[in-house]
Amino acid sequence: MSADPRIAEEAALWTDRMNRPAIDSALASEFDLWMRADPRHREAFAEQQALWDSETLTAALREMDSVSKPTLAPETPARLRTPARRRAWQFGAMAASIAAAALILPHVSQQSYRTGPGEGRQIRLADGTQIDLSGNSHLRVTLSPWSRSASLTRGEAYFDVRHEARRAFRVKSGDASIRVLGTAFNVDHQAPDRTAVEVYRGAVEVGGTGGGRQVLKTGTAANVLAGRVSLRPGPTQARPEWETGWFDASDIPLGVLIDKIRRYAPQPIVATDPSLLSLRVSGRFHISDVDRALAAIEAAYGVKVVRQHNQIVLELT
Amino acid sequence: MPLALRQIEQDPTAAPEEDWRLIASALTSYVRKRTRRPDVIEDIVQETVLRLIDYRDKGPLVSIYALAFRIAGNLVVDRFRTERRYSAEAVEEPASPTALPDRVLAGRQELALLMQTLQAMPPLRREVIIRRRLHGQSCATIAKDLDLNPKAVEKHITRGLVDLNKARVRSQTMERYQS
Repeated sequence: MSADPRIAEEAALWTDRMNRPAIDSALASEFDLWMRADPRHREAFAEQQALWDSETLTAALREMDSVSKPTLAPETPARLRTPARRRAWQFGAMAASIAAAALILPHVSQQSYRTGPGEGRQIRLADGTQIDLSGNSHLRVTLSPWSRSASLTRGEAYFDVRHEARRAFRVKSGDASIRVLGTAFNVDHQAPDRTAVEVYRGAVEVGGTGGGRQVLKTGTAANVLAGRVSLRPGPTQARPEWETGWFDASDIPLGVLIDKIRRYAPQPIVATDPSLLSLRVSGRFHISDVDRALAAIEAAYGVKVVRQHNQIVLELT
Repeated sequence: MPLALRQIEQDPTAAPEEDWRLIASALTSYVRKRTRRPDVIEDIVQETVLRLIDYRDKGPLVSIYALAFRIAGNLVVDRFRTERRYSAEAVEEPASPTALPDRVLAGRQELALLMQTLQAMPPLRREVIIRRRLHGQSCATIAKDLDLNPKAVEKHITRGLVDLNKARVRSQTMERYQS
């Protein structure tokens, strides 16, 4: 370990700061400067970070926490896990919070929202969060006293999340997860292994099952492809494009574009040849105008659109 | 032509070149403290640097060092999932039949020392550390709940981590001495 106690303290402070869900960008550059300045800094931080990530530390803390924890259900919010070893005034506070818990615990609400093709929907959650759900989409929302979470299993949604310091808002979409720090953002579930996230206000933290999380600030965007987060150019307008019925495609599989058109199309759209769906497409498409969007694809990508009475068939020409 | 090359390198509009060797060596120290297998250490450091370069090419990063440790940490966890028994750390659940006895012992020793250190802390500091590290609460939340100012919360976390790190290093030194 570092022989210099000052360096050890600085390293510990940086460890705390750099392991927060949102990292202030000024602080972050200061951290990089500190790390570059001295090999002893890097060594001390590596040590502290290894401690922070250590499972043994988790086990030790859990032991200490459970030793002193009153017998409550495991799912109680963290602030209710007040250790019994505290001074009297804290016992008072604890008793009060348990009483509060008895009142609020049963209020876990679970809601499922579905939209058909072409049918958007505005949702207002009990916490004040606003959600605009696109067509042909499915969203499940769970609100509990200690957490807020939503799962987008199909389609696209714009979230304007009411800021709450204690309850984070989490959105899952396929293998992507987004942790919200009070903000407005859009989530586009393009496929189970393909989600696009755009931030319009505030910041969110995006992660994939492949590891690596990235904080996105206002005006930035990322794709989560096969569990990996990658940054991409952010939105240029104030609201997501789909709300005006448009979609800007930049080198994406045709299948993703077709799925977006399906959010508006009254009949099913099918492809005769699956290879067609992996064609790469780029361009600005008016997806809410199904006929126009399909005509544009037909003209630009050598795809034939055949209208049958109950479905639309795409064929290779 | 060397002259031309130098001019390209000194293009003031180019992003300053990151010293990957510094990052790689810091990551090596980190990964070595989390696993003992040399091949795993090298693998993870290499993979992390590759991913970092990839991220960096896509746009400016808030902190390359913070991202570096986060990626490496995730990769270590991925490895642990499949190769728990090689971990240098204590395994939370009872020892699996494949765990090496000395590894389990070392983990227990470290666990005992960390718990001892937590026990010896002022109760408030212990509470702050539990909330911050185990329950992932923010400094602001802790400050509000425990009626402290945020600076005091940071201080408790910092001091607590320094003490816990001392205990961890002590147990690892003991272990090395025993083997």
